Amino acid sequence: MEKYDFLILGAGGTGLAAAMYGARLGMKTLVLGATHGSELPIGGVITTTSYVENYPGFKKILGFDLAKNLEEHAREYDLVTIKNEKATEVKKLDNLFIIKTEKGEYEAKSILFATGTKWRKLEVPGSLEFENKGVNYCALCDAPLFKDKITAIVGGSDSAGKDALILAEHAKKVYIIYRGEQIHPEPITLKDIEKNDKIEIINNTNVVEVKGEKLLNSVIFDKEYNGNKELELSGLFIAIGHLVLSDLAEPLDVKMNEKKEIIIDHKTSETNVPGIYAAGDVTDKQFKQLITGVADGCTAAYSAFEYLQQNK
Amino acid sequence: MTVKIYSTPSCHWCHKTKDFFNENNVEFTDIDVTQDQDAAKEMVEKSGQMGVPVIDINGEIIVGFKEPLITDLLKLK
Repeated sequence: MEKYDFLILGAGGTGLAAAMYGARLGMKTLVLGATHGSELPIGGVITTTSYVENYPGFKKILGFDLAKNLEEHAREYDLVTIKNEKATEVKKLDNLFIIKTEKGEYEAKSILFATGTKWRKLEVPGSLEFENKGVNYCALCDAPLFKDKITAIVGGSDSAGKDALILAEHAKKVYIIYRGEQIHPEPITLKDIEKNDKIEIINNTNVVEVKGEKLLNSVIFDKEYNGNKELELSGLFIAIGHLVLSDLAEPLDVKMNEKKEIIIDHKTSETNVPGIYAAGDVTDKQFKQLITGVADGCTAAYSAFEYLQQNK
Repeated sequence: MTVKIYSTPSCHWCHKTKDFFNENNVEFTDIDVTQDQDAAKEMVEKSGQMGVPVIDINGEIIVGFKEPLITDLLKLK
């Protein structure tokens, strides 16, 4: 069985930054590309972002390119191994951890949960049946397929707002359908939305059903909009938040909050279990950004290093 | 063996799939559906859905980067 000082679950920006620091601190480090439930490649959620404009050192860079840079930087270190394998189980055996993947087993002295999140799915009649048949989740990937079509995005966050702007580059019309009083993207995104003639906001409204034949044809609202509960459209993109991927931490008695976010000491990225750390979107931190995840990942690597020094 | 990928330039899984083909020396045709509406229609007809990537290996249609299935169909291992 391969043995590591520091094993990182999740190869998003957080995990890759932690790996780089792990190696710099002399720890033999393994990054596992994903965990059960994740649908993202190495690079993580940033690969689904068009342009990143809030990461210091890069005024404007494609999310995919930034992810690639992070991966290449981590791979520069001989002590770092990155594998595109999904962890399926983590066990604690005295002071060691055994991590199973679909391809093998690894032993580690310390572990980091950098497992991030997955998209929350829209759960209404028809949404599963028409998934990828008009009900889509990655606007960046699939928006060009809706050229000159009528589309909508469900959600009120900054991500929903940015997705609406991506869709508007291709579609004829983009509705933002939000269940609350008022959508709440970052002010800079809201400004762009307000300037865009193709985008129309429908607040205080829920999608309760999606309908179609082979592909999506329409959605049903819980109340009338312009005198009709049914809206004809070809594409419905979903941006209603994320669910944390912390399932593998549960059997280890790692403390979580009601959202299943892993509770960490925000000074050290330690969990309640010695040798187990967590960083990035999977934790209970408030402001979840690439830059904050990267910082947490580095902190976690340093804490793991100190832990290994004390437990030689 | 003919291998085609229907992709968009901004799709992360499309990039990963093409990286995989290159790493394994698989010759393939990349069809950018943002530039070719007929190809986009063809992709929807072949796959019955509207997400990329769609991979066509000798007429077998795969939706998404399903590495084990692609590896099998290309007889890479």
